[in-house]
Amino acid sequence: MKISYNWLQNYFEEKLPTPEVISDGIIFHSFEVDEFETIGNDTIFDIKILPDRAHDCLSHWGIAKEISAIFDLKITSQNGFSKQINALQERLLKESSKEPSLKTQLKIEIQDDKCLRYMGRIVRDVKVGESPEWLKEKLKCIGQKSINNIVDVANFIMFDLGQPIHCFDLDKLTSEKLIIRNGKIGESITTLDKREINLDDSILVIADEKYPLAIAGIKGGTRAEVDNSTKNIVIEVANFNHTTTRKTAKKINIQTDAVKRYENEISPELCFITMEAISELIYSLASGELEDIIDVYPNKAKERLINITIEYINKRLGSDFSGREIESVWSKLKFIFEENSGEYKIQVPYLRLDLIGEHDLTEEVIRVMGYDKLVEKLPEIKINDSETNNTYNKMLLVREKLLNDGYSEVMTYSFRDKGDVEVLASATGKNFLRNNISDGLKESIKLNTLNLPLLDMKEVKVFEIGTVFLKNGGIMNVAYGDKKGVVEMSLDKFVKEKMPDDFTPNTIVEENKKSKPFKMWSSYPFISRDIAVWVPESEGNETLKNILQENGTDLLIKKPYLFDEFTKEGRTSFAYRLVFQSYKKTLTDEEVNPIMDNITKKISSLGWEVR
Amino acid sequence: MEVKEKGREHPLSIIINDTVKVFRELGFEVAIGPELEDVYHCFDALNFPEEHPARDMQDTFFIKGEKDKVLRTHTSSVQIRFMEEFAKSGKKPPFAIIAPGKVFRNEATDATHEMQFYQIEGLFIGENISMADLKGTLSYFYKKILGEDTNLRFRPSFFPFTEPSIEFDLKYKGKWIEMGGAGMVHPNVLDKCGIDSKKYQGFAFGPGLERLMVIKYLMPDIRPAYQGDLRFNQI
Repeated sequence: MKISYNWLQNYFEEKLPTPEVISDGIIFHSFEVDEFETIGNDTIFDIKILPDRAHDCLSHWGIAKEISAIFDLKITSQNGFSKQINALQERLLKESSKEPSLKTQLKIEIQDDKCLRYMGRIVRDVKVGESPEWLKEKLKCIGQKSINNIVDVANFIMFDLGQPIHCFDLDKLTSEKLIIRNGKIGESITTLDKREINLDDSILVIADEKYPLAIAGIKGGTRAEVDNSTKNIVIEVANFNHTTTRKTAKKINIQTDAVKRYENEISPELCFITMEAISELIYSLASGELEDIIDVYPNKAKERLINITIEYINKRLGSDFSGREIESVWSKLKFIFEENSGEYKIQVPYLRLDLIGEHDLTEEVIRVMGYDKLVEKLPEIKINDSETNNTYNKMLLVREKLLNDGYSEVMTYSFRDKGDVEVLASATGKNFLRNNISDGLKESIKLNTLNLPLLDMKEVKVFEIGTVFLKNGGIMNVAYGDKKGVVEMSLDKFVKEKMPDDFTPNTIVEENKKSKPFKMWSSYPFISRDIAVWVPESEGNETLKNILQENGTDLLIKKPYLFDEFTKEGRTSFAYRLVFQSYKKTLTDEEVNPIMDNITKKISSLGWEVR
Repeated sequence: MEVKEKGREHPLSIIINDTVKVFRELGFEVAIGPELEDVYHCFDALNFPEEHPARDMQDTFFIKGEKDKVLRTHTSSVQIRFMEEFAKSGKKPPFAIIAPGKVFRNEATDATHEMQFYQIEGLFIGENISMADLKGTLSYFYKKILGEDTNLRFRPSFFPFTEPSIEFDLKYKGKWIEMGGAGMVHPNVLDKCGIDSKKYQGFAFGPGLERLMVIKYLMPDIRPAYQGDLRFNQI
């Protein structure tokens, strides 16, 4: 989610640390920060809210609370806009708050328990118009467009507090009554983005006594849309079931910022704070007369209590935190707690739906304290009857046997064009799982045979050990072969029939194997040339090899490969393969011939015969 | 005279076997599980909620005609299989397992992502196995594989089957690199497998191994690993 630094600052009296420090704080105590960039005089963070915190942190308030805990900074504002409203507006606000709001005729009826809470409030005689600059700017910095002050305020509050809001034009309703009910077959609604959605009884809607007005928690309709001529509005602050909202949104294929919040299950307790905030802001920016709030909330959320001991926390973390340190975490997170000889009774804030048990609170302790507080220790493992998995042992043995027999190890894809087991959907288009390794191995042999001069090998011999997928399930197979053919059988069969009884593997992995850096190959074709030279028997091949190496130029991409050698009548013939390849282009004979001519000349000048 | 040439090892295989070796020396036992898994072992038993995105077709390979079957998306399913067996046999913790295996995710491939890749699952349960032990164990492992000049750090994360959950980064050659996820096994997971979560606790981790291969051998791309191309076997 996009979070504005200046917006966050509105929550604090104290100056926030720099964006770099804030970003690091969030990364090591809360969430990943994808990036942050300076836009004008603001900095925008792109924060990846973790799935278990999406219910309370998809908002500036949520992140402000995290920052408050991480940096031990006091939150001094209940929302992210109070500081934006000027003195005159504030005075107006104060005056209004003295007067009780007006009696209302609004009626709300919840007919289905997919709606957990519905708060409605009529505001009469609002002045719809342009939003003030600060509001436009705040929306713009997180990528939102300004529409008019009413719509903007609703949108702003959602990104501020995390609670979606909807506003209806009261005069477009057939009655001052809102009904939250299931859609009916045959009914349809035109959404604000002009899509016609056919309703059914799985889709929860907000309706007046005749027509559906909005798809609950997902999208408003055009029928009661707030526009520039709107005079009177109804504000909706409601809570809908997360699972059904997600399913409906998926079914009708509408994804909105509201859906994103509802589907992560926000607390119905958030409604009240939000209604207060939006009332204040609408009154301040569009004036109007506030009527009483109607609040239908059939099953009030229950307070959650968790008991946890210092001992439990330290045992699980392997830490040595004191009661004082642990209590400081509770305080920073605004948990209400009682302590009784090392045991805490914690009252979990309503909005923290993710905190269920002691293990959850343990995570809160260590992430707020910081994982750098953990002291690494290597546990001792005292298990008497530790045994090695049989299949893994067999794989190691067979692998060693085939390597010893000159087969090189490859891995090929498990996905193929045909097979016995099919996957429902695949990003690559290959929808079947392999029912043999041989097909992949044959392709490997073909590819490697073409590349043989690059491989410093006499011939291509490969093997693979892996799962193949048959109609009745997966089985571990082994396949090996060369250009003459491939043999495949189950791992078990190989062990039974092909492993010599006296086979003992070398040490499987040499300790501290010296590895040379990996070099990615060129994707251009190579040219290979063989050269055989008669050298006096006493001479050996060192000098010849050096001549080849030194005169091969940069295009000689491999060490000369000795593929044949024999001695006859006091002379030895050495046959070398030279491979030329460029990382930049396809080489031609015209480029390689002069190199070979030069090498031949150098060899002849020593009196040796190039065969 | 013809010299018998030994075949060449696949670099990923070297990494897998080296990894297993380090953990076996510590006392971990090797466990293996099926690549073709059922939904219970892949998700339900690991505390995944019913509507978790991982259960969507976009991320997971579901098997046609078999509603209950998937290609495992992580080796964490091996944890479940091992613990179920362990509890059934009547044995009591501690136990420590290491489970290398191929896993599958339905996503577009690029230089750092493949649809199939290897994970190494570690699980250590006992009476007092803690988060500090997790950090010590992982730290020991990476120092063994990449050398003493490495540093480990934890960041908060979320997985349904661990609590606390962390993501860990490794400092190698002066750079921090994201390596994988880990955490303390969620009590629900232990209980589901028949291990008393009131009495026993412990950690689990499941980093990918391609990442380790790529940084150890300085490889620019993981894709050639599965192309059967012997030019890849340089190590």
